[in-house]
Amino acid sequence: MSYETFDHTADVGLRVQASELNRLFADAGRGLFSLIVPDLASVRPLESIHLELSGEPSELLLFDWLSELLFIYETRRLLLCEFDVMVSESGVSATARGEPIDAVRHQLDHEVKAITYHGLKLERQGDGWLAEVIVDI
Amino acid sequence: MAKDAYRGPLERTSETTWRIPKSYRKGMRVDGIVYADDKLVELIRHDEALDQVANVAHLPGIQTASLAMPDIHWGYGFCIGGVCATDPAAGGVISPGGVGYDINCGVRLVRSNLNAADVAPVQSQLVEELFRNVPSGTGQGGNYRFTPRELKQLMGDGVPFLVERGLAVESDLDHTEARGKIAGAEPDYVSERALQRGYDQCGTLGSGNHFMEVQVVEAVFDDTAARAMGLAQGMVCVMIHSGSRGLGYQVCDDALRLLRKAPEKYGIHLPDRQLVCAPIESPEGQHYLGAMCAAANFAWCNRQLLMWQARECFATVFNRSWEALGMNLVYDVAHNIAKLEEHAVDGAQKQVWVHRKGATRAFPAEHPETPDAYKHIGQPVIIPGDMGRASWVLVGQPGSMEQTFGSACHGAGRVMSRNAAIKHAQGRRIDKELADRGVIARARSWKGLAEEQPDAYKNVDLVVEVVHRAGLAKKVARMRPIGVIKG
Repeated sequence: MSYETFDHTADVGLRVQASELNRLFADAGRGLFSLIVPDLASVRPLESIHLELSGEPSELLLFDWLSELLFIYETRRLLLCEFDVMVSESGVSATARGEPIDAVRHQLDHEVKAITYHGLKLERQGDGWLAEVIVDI
Repeated sequence: MAKDAYRGPLERTSETTWRIPKSYRKGMRVDGIVYADDKLVELIRHDEALDQVANVAHLPGIQTASLAMPDIHWGYGFCIGGVCATDPAAGGVISPGGVGYDINCGVRLVRSNLNAADVAPVQSQLVEELFRNVPSGTGQGGNYRFTPRELKQLMGDGVPFLVERGLAVESDLDHTEARGKIAGAEPDYVSERALQRGYDQCGTLGSGNHFMEVQVVEAVFDDTAARAMGLAQGMVCVMIHSGSRGLGYQVCDDALRLLRKAPEKYGIHLPDRQLVCAPIESPEGQHYLGAMCAAANFAWCNRQLLMWQARECFATVFNRSWEALGMNLVYDVAHNIAKLEEHAVDGAQKQVWVHRKGATRAFPAEHPETPDAYKHIGQPVIIPGDMGRASWVLVGQPGSMEQTFGSACHGAGRVMSRNAAIKHAQGRRIDKELADRGVIARARSWKGLAEEQPDAYKNVDLVVEVVHRAGLAKKVARMRPIGVIKG
């Protein structure tokens, strides 16, 4: 696991570090869902969905990726816990797995309102990558 | 968070105001003006809110000053607690970040004929009834469903749409800002994605700082105003804080996406991407305004349906109709919104777009938009505090028109980050501590309560005192919570 949260007065910051972009996008997805359901291990990878997003690999693509995951969660009530991501020069191709919310087994925490652009960052760090994003709670 | 994160200039200009001169940063078009006393200003310096006040001063067409209320804290783009007015005739812009994701997040207060002693024997039962019946928290659908067609009608017509369906009454309209329907809504500008997020969320609280509280009027400071609002010491009230839910968040998100390239296109230099904006008269600006107004109408309907469910819960517990319980709406006011209003700027009357991002409209007595019932006292300004101490009811004063484009604060303002609040709550039972103070709190998660614990907020009394002394709004009543439901 290579994501953590950092302080922001009203909201929550998510910091992700990974050796490569595919991994970074996958961990960012897990980081996002860990805010919604803190015990991600309680989510079983029973359903899978495929996602395609276009755009250059940049912080805006990361923003779009997380926004898309949030949209899927909210409209399908689907908690996602596993991500296979391929980031290319033209976009993201990914498979995400998870299961619908089960009020008995899933203890839900935050409603994430949105991904914000404030302090949005995706950059090289040594041999790997670092991303920071603040989500509106 | 670094102590004194802000290292720029901050000059005291009066007992309650501080100035960030426009010379602080190249590109600032106006000064920043912050309302605070000595105590609050120390807290405000601790995060990046003051730099955000300076950032907002860069927006094209901004009038007079970039303003911040005493509850300001670090937001994204705009600080929370910010007010900014832009003039369309001077190339003024509209910025979705100046409204926020939760378009028309706001507060409403409902009175009753009950007093604290009537509720005491059923306090737990009442809170339980509310918690069971009023949907709250993430992933919760509501009790009302609207087809996409109905949803569009609701966004176009606002709360009057619910009057037709027997979920609101005329007097609810009379006591809602803009009568629950802001002009200029273009439901067709609201995306399919936003409709999908919102279809079952009208009438749901959400999570974060949203709440429904049962409160008691603890003290009255202005008898005439309290009487006009139907409030009296010892009376039980309900306060509701929520906004436009997923629909509004998506409208904001869509607008920010649409505007990604607007600063380049219109030659606007911005210090933070979250401030993206477009000239009000541009196609992008008009598109956002139409969708924003539609989402604002959705939010008024959301709070109306939340109130309706609260009335039903009270009727069940007390076995009397809500009308018999006198559960009339005192007022509903938005605190995340942009509105076209007339204000005096440098001695001339101008139509300006007032962005209130965590700030409440506070129109004085005799203002044309102050509702008839309150014409003689001023518009009620409802200020939620925290779940352990207090909330407030104020009325707008002439000073708000002279100083802050008719605005006052919107709450206590956070002082602790969510992470810090959780650390602070380790090993504690916040619900038990609240119960010891006479407050029964029910939340979907321990974290929900921990993050929203009273210590995470500034003392709302201090915030209200500044607004009162600055002449923006006058104290009417202090409300003490006795029951809280949270996401």
